[in-house]
Amino acid sequence: MAIADAGSVARALREMAAALGNDRVFFDQQDRMAYSDQFAWEPERHMPGGAVAPETLEEVQEAVRIADRNRVPIWPISRGKNLGYGSAAPVVAGSIVMDLSRMKRIEVDADNGTVLLEPGVGFFDLYDHLRDNGIPLWLSVPGNSWGSVAGNALDRGVGYTTYGDHAARICGIEMVLANGEVVRTGTGAMSNSSTWQLYKPGFGPSWDAMLCQSNFGVITKVGMWLLPEPEAVAGFDIECDKPEDLEWLIDTLAPLRREGIIQQSPSIGNWLRAASPLTQREQWAKPGEPLTDSAIAAIRKQFNVGYWSVSTRFYGPLEVVEATQKHVAKAFEKTTAQLTPSRWVKGDNPEGTPWTGVPVTFPLANANWFGGRGGHIGFSPVMPARGDVAMKLFRQAYDLFNQYGFDYHPSFALGERHMTNVNQILFDRDNAEMTAKIDPLFRQLVKNAAQEGYSEYRAHIDYMDLIASTFDFGNGALRRLNERVKDALDPNGIIAPGKSGIRSRAQRGEAA
Amino acid sequence: MKRLIVAAQFAAALLVAGCTEEAPRSEEGVDRSAASSFGMIQDRTSSSPAEALFVEKCSMCHRNMGMGTVLLGRRMDPKVAPLEDRDDLTADYVTQAVRVGIGNMPIIPRGEVSDEQLQQIAGYLAKGDGE
Repeated sequence: MAIADAGSVARALREMAAALGNDRVFFDQQDRMAYSDQFAWEPERHMPGGAVAPETLEEVQEAVRIADRNRVPIWPISRGKNLGYGSAAPVVAGSIVMDLSRMKRIEVDADNGTVLLEPGVGFFDLYDHLRDNGIPLWLSVPGNSWGSVAGNALDRGVGYTTYGDHAARICGIEMVLANGEVVRTGTGAMSNSSTWQLYKPGFGPSWDAMLCQSNFGVITKVGMWLLPEPEAVAGFDIECDKPEDLEWLIDTLAPLRREGIIQQSPSIGNWLRAASPLTQREQWAKPGEPLTDSAIAAIRKQFNVGYWSVSTRFYGPLEVVEATQKHVAKAFEKTTAQLTPSRWVKGDNPEGTPWTGVPVTFPLANANWFGGRGGHIGFSPVMPARGDVAMKLFRQAYDLFNQYGFDYHPSFALGERHMTNVNQILFDRDNAEMTAKIDPLFRQLVKNAAQEGYSEYRAHIDYMDLIASTFDFGNGALRRLNERVKDALDPNGIIAPGKSGIRSRAQRGEAA
Repeated sequence: MKRLIVAAQFAAALLVAGCTEEAPRSEEGVDRSAASSFGMIQDRTSSSPAEALFVEKCSMCHRNMGMGTVLLGRRMDPKVAPLEDRDDLTADYVTQAVRVGIGNMPIIPRGEVSDEQLQQIAGYLAKGDGE
């Protein structure tokens, strides 16, 4: 694994301190630990060499120029809270973390339902801003909402509402290139643009999608669309009793999603997803022993959850959501699913959950499932939205998790055509016997998925190269294309080398 | 009052975290905005600059419905799981927890919370004098 040259990094940090101020540069052991992977059991593998915290666009430009001049890698983070995928830590140990969490400007266009955000704006910040100013726009929040709105969208995070495909709601980006130049995408490329947050494509090639999960620039502003508060939100909470119910559950929901009847992404989770933030494993099984069927039944009884649970919501005028509700209920008529209807109408008390854009952090309490200093890592393949496909993967993954001593914690989120299967491998990072099994399990899961033709939608910093290697058409033609773009934009390879497996020519020889 | 409806995957959590379906909920002696206590909506109010910093930087995990509050509630009397309801925190202890991490709490870096900001937050949680 490549490691940044410590002498060059120290020199760059000194220059950054001189340019931005001593209070913007952090490099002692405690600081480096603070920017390491907070769920890692071996944090030194991705230990940064230090960090710099610019507060303005001009300071970002200055720090980037210093990094480029000294040929040292920087790893930009927005808030660095993506704990299941590596936190703030860089792929390349010794990199300088560029912490953008102090950049917190918010510009809302209430009439058009858009916002222009700096990377440090968290979901709670934006939520507070909208509420404090009485702006009737809703967030789409992820399951754990302490991260950055822009950062989450750029990493293709997902949420619960009809705006839950966050990357798809990006409209206009500002970024700093490796040479310090500032570029605005879309119609923002006009210096007096009045449609930067209104029209996504621009003229000629569109760059917003290319900048997601990439390392072509340091992104300093992201435009996003927000959901105008609807008149009503209605839907169902759906519980299914048996493991094999997954097949018809998906085959009932997928057509509704494909036809646009359901316009958000219903996420099917098993009993462990529902229960793991609420309890600990030691209450139900001895350490090292599998959870028995009777223990699983007892957990489900205590928390009143099905083997599979899924919720769906419809947004819009009351008469429309009521009609949708009837239509969806009919689709489930001949199944054994238990449907509990929900309904919120403007003027009611706040609905009060992520379904209406309320940010929360408690689901991350699932990291405490095994006790100790917990953690989780995400394995997230994308597959066709078909029940038989999900059942096959479920059986295979369930056995693998058990074989390696982990508890299967999946969700299946239905897109318009695909399905994303997010699996959290929960662990106790102080249990060396347990953590030693994560890597072999993960690699086997990736191998099995790739054999079926499934890629992952997102990856931990440890596995970006592994996932990128599964994109093997034309002997890795897409990877070479990405590398050619990287070489052109960032010839010294200073911006986030290794992100999504992409490195410049300068580093490729060392990447194995 | 219409019944507050909560999604299946969140419903059990509300019960565990002590939220009821009847809102608003007020706690004696605690100056919290009752109107912000529906469902999982966190109280985001503050009445001093130090408290405002706590809300901005910490309360997402350490007020109602926060991960920290849920986990601390497993290890101590749930009534004092919210840090602001504790009377045993010293400024040194808070500083140490933030900069070194504790249990499941990740380290909060200086880029995100500066030393000066941390001093204010620690003073707020230690009720001003560290005792």
